[in-house]
Amino acid sequence: MSDNLKNEELNEYVSASTALDDEQRVKVLSPGMLVAKRFIRNKLAMIGLVILIFMFIFSFVGGQISPYGEAEVFRTTEVVLKDYAGATYSDEYLYTEQEGLKLPSAAISQFILAVNKKQDTFEAKGIQYSLIEEGQDFYRISGVSEIGKALTLRGISSYTETLEGSLTDTIKAGYEAAVKDGLSEFEVDGIVYLITKIGKENSIGTVQDIALATKRIFNTYANDTTLTYQFKFATLKAIEEDVKNFDVNGITYTITEGENDTATISTADGVNFASVSKLVVRPMSNDVFLSVDFKTLVENAIINGEKSIVYVDENGEENEYTITNKDKQYTIRRLQETVVNALYSEPSKEHFLGTDGNGMDILTRLMYGGRISLLIGFIAIGIEIFIGVILGGLAGYFGKWIDTAIMRLVDVFNCIPSMPLYIILGAVMDYYRLAPQTRIYLLCVILGLLSWPGIARMVRGQILSLREQEFMTAAEATGISVYRRIFKHLVPNVIPQLIVVATMGLGDIILVEATLSFLGLGVKYPFASWGNIINAVNDVYVMTNYLFVWIPAGMLILLTVLGFNFVGDGLRDAFDPKMKR
Amino acid sequence: METNREPLEQADYILEVKNLKKYFPIKGGFLNGPVGYVKAVDDISFAIKRGTTMGLVGESGCGKSTAGRTILRLLEKTDGQVLFDGQEVFSFNRKEMQEIRTKMQIIFQDPYSSLSPRLPVGEIIGEAVREHNIVKKEQFDEYITKIMNDCGLQEYHKDRYPHEFSGGQRQRICIARALALNPEFIVCDEPVSALDVSIQAQIINLLKELQEKFGLTYLFISHDLSVVEHISDTVGVMYLGGMVEIGNTKDIFSNPLHPYTKALFSAIPIPDPDAQINRIILEGSIPSPANPPSGCKFHTRCSECMEICKSEIPQVKDMGDGHIVACHLYNDK
Repeated sequence: MSDNLKNEELNEYVSASTALDDEQRVKVLSPGMLVAKRFIRNKLAMIGLVILIFMFIFSFVGGQISPYGEAEVFRTTEVVLKDYAGATYSDEYLYTEQEGLKLPSAAISQFILAVNKKQDTFEAKGIQYSLIEEGQDFYRISGVSEIGKALTLRGISSYTETLEGSLTDTIKAGYEAAVKDGLSEFEVDGIVYLITKIGKENSIGTVQDIALATKRIFNTYANDTTLTYQFKFATLKAIEEDVKNFDVNGITYTITEGENDTATISTADGVNFASVSKLVVRPMSNDVFLSVDFKTLVENAIINGEKSIVYVDENGEENEYTITNKDKQYTIRRLQETVVNALYSEPSKEHFLGTDGNGMDILTRLMYGGRISLLIGFIAIGIEIFIGVILGGLAGYFGKWIDTAIMRLVDVFNCIPSMPLYIILGAVMDYYRLAPQTRIYLLCVILGLLSWPGIARMVRGQILSLREQEFMTAAEATGISVYRRIFKHLVPNVIPQLIVVATMGLGDIILVEATLSFLGLGVKYPFASWGNIINAVNDVYVMTNYLFVWIPAGMLILLTVLGFNFVGDGLRDAFDPKMKR
Repeated sequence: METNREPLEQADYILEVKNLKKYFPIKGGFLNGPVGYVKAVDDISFAIKRGTTMGLVGESGCGKSTAGRTILRLLEKTDGQVLFDGQEVFSFNRKEMQEIRTKMQIIFQDPYSSLSPRLPVGEIIGEAVREHNIVKKEQFDEYITKIMNDCGLQEYHKDRYPHEFSGGQRQRICIARALALNPEFIVCDEPVSALDVSIQAQIINLLKELQEKFGLTYLFISHDLSVVEHISDTVGVMYLGGMVEIGNTKDIFSNPLHPYTKALFSAIPIPDPDAQINRIILEGSIPSPANPPSGCKFHTRCSECMEICKSEIPQVKDMGDGHIVACHLYNDK
């Protein structure tokens, strides 16, 4: 009895535990969960995923966090030697004209010829000039200054006055006497008048000092002082004659001779008025006024062969200047604090990865560049998938001539050498001077249009094999429409492979984009992309000296592509139904 | 069974197949044109009464499945007629065909590949129901649940995916999918061949139950003769695309006439160790349907082959009580 009972209990237990009851079955995961589980178990894929997540945060969030703009140029103050002034020995004559008189340029050239030939007269435009050597390289040029004209025919003269009343009766009488005697000059009241025959007319003029020519340079202490002919002449004369004092216009000046043919002229009350030297010191830019003190300092330094000087200007600023000599041309350069673009500045607190060749923050540009690189990747792959799935799906599902036509198109696209085409298209975009923004969009389209055949081929193959599956026949037997058969039964079964191919393709697209940008055909300044950041490294000097410019960008490209490939591989393994675990 | 085959009672026959042919072209040559034909179904005729089951047996490759699929117009016919409820199936246009598809359904042999792996079971069963507006939207869930219960599935199976089920359960899903459209006629294309024996019984019994409940008509394609004997009212035996013998199950199994049927049935194992096994072993293998033998297609392997068999195609002979055989050995009764 008890045995029977036991047996019954056992039977009940056995039947309860072995019954094919669903409550007893192990919970089975849905396909999506299964894939996710397999994917998470794949270490390499997780590394790739972490890399990609980092890249996305870096690119899309980083740009928002970064305090700098994409194309913000940073400036820095730098002490640079800047050309400040130039000095040279004057070996040209400088002319100072009498007030109201003019020494024509024709006369100047004739004067130089005359000096070289050591003549003491010369003629220019029919006017006689004479030159008087007053000292070394110091000439007084005098010429005939016309005061009137006379037309003398058979002893009767008619006059034309240059100035009202310039020809007085005594001058006229003197002129007539001279003409009668056939003389070419006459003297009235102690002034010598010259008669010059110009055509039928005679010109009556006085001999006057017109200008002085000297190689010495006059500098004034005050910016607004203009030195007159009289002053200069008196000064030079005094220097020649070694006279310490001279009067001009009732003012007494004192000359203090300095070294090396320099001299300082001061007024009676001891104020420096002007200086004379043989060196010309000129500022390099127009807005700089060089004080006589500075000029003197420079002159002394040049003569003494000094290489650098320290000058304290009127504002009390002490500056150091260096003097360099090249073919007797002296360049005075000042160590000056200048605001310059912070080119290739080393990594610092402000710029964690330094700045690039345009003075832009590299870290910020990497963030924005990543955004563009990834966006281009995604848009291009989107276009690729759109075209690929539609064409591949049509070819696979309908087969026959549609398949043949589309697959031949795929073959044609596969035959196009992509790099030359990219280069040509890049050049075309250059030719039309497209805006950088437009270029980015066009780049996406070009990349997408050229790389769809791979996806089309994959989709076609998948659909070709799926189409023959019995569940498709079942769908047909249950009278489900073609549209639903394609989009509910075929496409969801292609999606896993599509995701894998797209993920792998993203890496490729980013590489191509980087290549094009590196070659200057892709994304253009001011927009950043990882490729065109590396483009900065187009010479060995930058490559070896500014590692911080190109290594981060290179690493980002490497890591991103690696990440996409890892994730793609992981997805492929995860989607593969033959993979257990 | 009860009545003799009465050609006048047209409406009683849900399906009539007359001289159906299905040839597959063999492509080749320079222009990729047809260089020959595989005669998968070559001139078969039969009729099925409403509410009965016809078994279709034969070796692998004899055209059973092709015949089943051609009848459902999943393949286009080459010649002949398929009358469903007295209407030629191949005369329907696309829209009419979509409608008629709900009346005739198919259950496939392989329950693994006949379910889309990316759709949940509820969707697999309900998709076509929604497509054909068989029930109102409000009743949809209820209807699917009912169908699933009828087929031995639980309501919570709806959200599961096919790969979570065992073979028997999958076949139940396939049956539910077919049944959901409320069909009159179901082609069961070797529905139990891929299942183990205990599950086979479950499925066969389920099919029988459903037949009684809904008054279904089955065309039961199988190479498993004991299953066919169990379920069928009439049996058709096919050899190399042609129908060699049709008759009531009882007649055929107790008194097979055609030498091929005899050989085929002698292969049924008898569950009695003392029984004398009198097997007829067929020599050679089944000839290629692309190049069938002349005359009687079976003559190359027939133990009772005569000269006439090699040259003349045997005519169909009625041996009485709907027992039809195509063999030169017999004459019309």
